Amino acid sequence: MLLAKLALGFCGTVFVAGAYTFHEGVMRVDEDNSDGRHVHVWVPAAIVPMAMHVVPSRHFEHAVAQVGPWLPTLRALAKELKRYPEAQLIDVEDGRQHVRIRTHQGKLLIDVSEPGEDVHVACPLAMIEDVASELEAKSPAV
Amino acid sequence: MTTATARLIEKASVTLAASLLGATMFLPLAARAQDTPKSGSSQISTVSNHDRWLHVRVTNPSRNEETVRVNVPLELAEKVLPTINKDRLHSGRVKFDDIDCHGVDLRALVDAVRTSRDGEFVTVQSRDSDVRVAKRNGTLLVHVFEKNHPRRSEVEVKVPMKVVDALFSGEKDELDLVAGLRALSSQGDTELVSVKDQENTVRVWLDSKNITD
Repeated sequence: MLLAKLALGFCGTVFVAGAYTFHEGVMRVDEDNSDGRHVHVWVPAAIVPMAMHVVPSRHFEHAVAQVGPWLPTLRALAKELKRYPEAQLIDVEDGRQHVRIRTHQGKLLIDVSEPGEDVHVACPLAMIEDVASELEAKSPAV
Repeated sequence: MTTATARLIEKASVTLAASLLGATMFLPLAARAQDTPKSGSSQISTVSNHDRWLHVRVTNPSRNEETVRVNVPLELAEKVLPTINKDRLHSGRVKFDDIDCHGVDLRALVDAVRTSRDGEFVTVQSRDSDVRVAKRNGTLLVHVFEKNHPRRSEVEVKVPMKVVDALFSGEKDELDLVAGLRALSSQGDTELVSVKDQENTVRVWLDSKNITD
């Protein structure tokens, strides 16, 4: 009986942890090349800001210096875009390339297609806002 | 406490724990399902009655090679613009004190246009181009027709006077873009800029749809 309780407790913890980890969705980067090379990266969105929170600030100095002036813009953009869960924002097409930026189900989707290469990025808007807030918190000006 | 009672309490605890676990897992999914629009619904949707979208479309009708479509919610632009501080743009305002206006006092010009009646202010007709600036029904109209050089082109700009007023509502040497956007959002569906030449067509317009037609 004790073992059953322990197992239930363990499974419950795993389920709750899993549910929390994935509650913000998944950030995906998919790259497909015609030469057969494929890169697929899936990261739970809730993990990214959490990981940034525990990583020492000195590791973000360069990134913060680079994007620092744009962080308020990024955060405002992510916050506002959440109000538009289904929107086509930018669509550029020429003879060879096609770039699309849109929101779908609370995610920012960036699709780039060109001969021999397709790149798809899906990033939950909540995660972008959290990442911007984390970077702002690590900014020396704050 | 009897064994049967203890077993009953244990079962109830397990059921309660399982219910809580289930609720924890499925509530966010249910909430997301409510947020998510039905897949069968049309993609052309208005987010709310108050949402106004600024659209830019660049097409290349002759060769059909390039197409650019940009759709921006005005409210989003209003909120994001003040966060950009770069070069002349600060807090949603653009400084134009250094811009060479060829000695023209823009503010005085706008005041003059605002207070004058509807009519044609400038009409230039030459061998190469025709230029027309007019005010009609509270809208400032600019029409430029290049006949030959560098290529045949036609530009039409329609700006509601309320928007012009809002743009110049800030300090003397700046344009208040956020105020301009706010004024624009109170306008109905309207075509703002249209450029046509032999190669490209550019349209900038305002409506309530979240995608271009």
